[in-house]
Amino acid sequence: METNPTSLPMKILVFLLFLFLLAPVILVVPISFSGEQILSFPPQSWSLRWYTALAGNSAIISAFWTSLLLGAIVTVLSLAAAIPAAYVIVRMRTMGSGFLYNLFTAPLLLPTIVLGLAILIVFASAGFLGSFWGLVIGHLVITLPYALRVLATTLGNLPLACEEAASTLGGRPLTVFRRVTLPMMAPGIVAATALCFLVSFDEVVITLFLTGPRLTTLPVELFHHVESRADPLVASVSVLLILLTLAVVMVVDRTVGLSKTFVK
Amino acid sequence: MMHQTILSGTPTALTSRDAHLRLDGLTKRYGDTEAVAALNLDVPKGELVALLGPSGCGKTTTLRMIAGLITPSGGRIVVGRSDITQMPVYRRDMGLVFQSYALFPHMTVARNVAFGLEMRGVSKPEIEQRVREALAMVRLEPLAERRPRELSGGQQQRVALARALVIRPSILLLDEPLSNLDAKLRDEMRNEIRDIQQNLGITAVFVTHDQVEALSMCDKVVVMKGGKLEQVGTPVDVYEHPATPFVASFVGRTNRLEAMGKGDGTAIAGGAVLRIPSRAQGPVEIMMRPHRVRLTDSDGASASGGEGTNRLDGRLSRVTFVGDLLQYHVDVSGTELVVEAASDHGRVFRAVGAPVSLMWRVEDTMVFGRTA
Repeated sequence: METNPTSLPMKILVFLLFLFLLAPVILVVPISFSGEQILSFPPQSWSLRWYTALAGNSAIISAFWTSLLLGAIVTVLSLAAAIPAAYVIVRMRTMGSGFLYNLFTAPLLLPTIVLGLAILIVFASAGFLGSFWGLVIGHLVITLPYALRVLATTLGNLPLACEEAASTLGGRPLTVFRRVTLPMMAPGIVAATALCFLVSFDEVVITLFLTGPRLTTLPVELFHHVESRADPLVASVSVLLILLTLAVVMVVDRTVGLSKTFVK
Repeated sequence: MMHQTILSGTPTALTSRDAHLRLDGLTKRYGDTEAVAALNLDVPKGELVALLGPSGCGKTTTLRMIAGLITPSGGRIVVGRSDITQMPVYRRDMGLVFQSYALFPHMTVARNVAFGLEMRGVSKPEIEQRVREALAMVRLEPLAERRPRELSGGQQQRVALARALVIRPSILLLDEPLSNLDAKLRDEMRNEIRDIQQNLGITAVFVTHDQVEALSMCDKVVVMKGGKLEQVGTPVDVYEHPATPFVASFVGRTNRLEAMGKGDGTAIAGGAVLRIPSRAQGPVEIMMRPHRVRLTDSDGASASGGEGTNRLDGRLSRVTFVGDLLQYHVDVSGTELVVEAASDHGRVFRAVGAPVSLMWRVEDTMVFGRTA
């Protein structure tokens, strides 16, 4: 962005828009320090009781670890599939490259509820319901298109000349990929990693169909919790999640630059 | 090591025993169009040969086929005695310098230069030494630990040159290496590349659309158009004795005049009889270099040319000042001809609209048959 002087009305408009977007996130913080029994704003009294309650809630904590592990595995698998796929689609330009790309990214266009139902039907007959690896596969359907999209764009913007130079210098195709293509794709890989993890960590709709009584993810557990009891516990979880997200974003920003990663 | 000067020329009949690089009917088709059409070319060992032509003439496609980045549709590429047409790019042992430099952005200058040696399994101490030597050759030793983005365009191109040469390639390929540099740097790099090429005695192919680069740097110039060779010769040959009107107009500036050859060494053009060094009959194209034409007043004794001089009368229509030169545009019965003269502090001696005469020597007259 250029540093054009912004007019005052514009500044006010932008401020109001941000307020509108961030209001729920900002509200969650005071609510999480509420001393009340039910969710309300503003709270009548203040305490840390919901953070202590959270520390003793084994269901939420185990759901958090499930989500974390799920997100990590889904992210690794997404990248493992999307990096070679992006390379084949962008660099090799075989017949049907465009078709493959559209096929892989199609889940982005489908309503997730439809996807969830479809996966439910398939998994029910295959006996995958309520299993961790069933969740992994379900989440991959959602995250893979994101990863492929980001990586294909990154690769498409890289100059081919560097890879050509490496091959004229004696690099075999795999060596060139490992020593030149992959490092040059790093910003895209970081972006895809963050995106995949956050999408998986946040996913509710499909997960609702696939989780069972013994296995659940954090968003789904929170969903059920709010359904039965409207206490400020969910607010304290939310605050912790916001902090976690901020940490991820800051790490990305410090390593490769935020705008370089997500904008484009 | 070969120390050849531009003027020494090359033998016209090159025996294939001497040829280091030989292209034999090299062809590249894209669908129905032939980007390169049955190209035959010999590049003798130690020579720097320019592929010169406008964009789309097939020069870059030819270079990329030699490098192995494009698979030819037909023909052969021979280096020394081995046919490398089917050899994969990473085994060809050629150093390629790109217009965009194509340095690896995530590696330091030294790592960039070391890359080709690592691919060849050269030992660590030897890599270190050869990288140092290569960087010294392009005078960049102090910048070894910098990243490419911290270097200027000229420095980046010198790194690219060092990286291509450090592997001691059989052939050095240069793809418009100077096009992204500014004018002053281009002149320096021209001499630097030529010096290095001659000191190493390496066979090199240089792709360019800039006739000055081709003429000033290379032992031989290959003028291409539409995927075909127009002319192969020394820079002096190509400039002084262009084989086709295209070569005459692409290499150096030219004036072009339509005329009628009479078959007796003269031709009629612009209402005057011109002597031409040809017995051509019928429609011909007459060309002469702007700086070989003199501008005189159309009256007076000075205007009467001698035996070996051609003369045309016209009217001065425009004078352009281009720094070291003045360009006089003269209207000769509807055709605009240009005369170039050294500029004397930009002083213009003749008024626009004045009647003037153009005079040039018969031997400076180039004649081509007109096909249209």
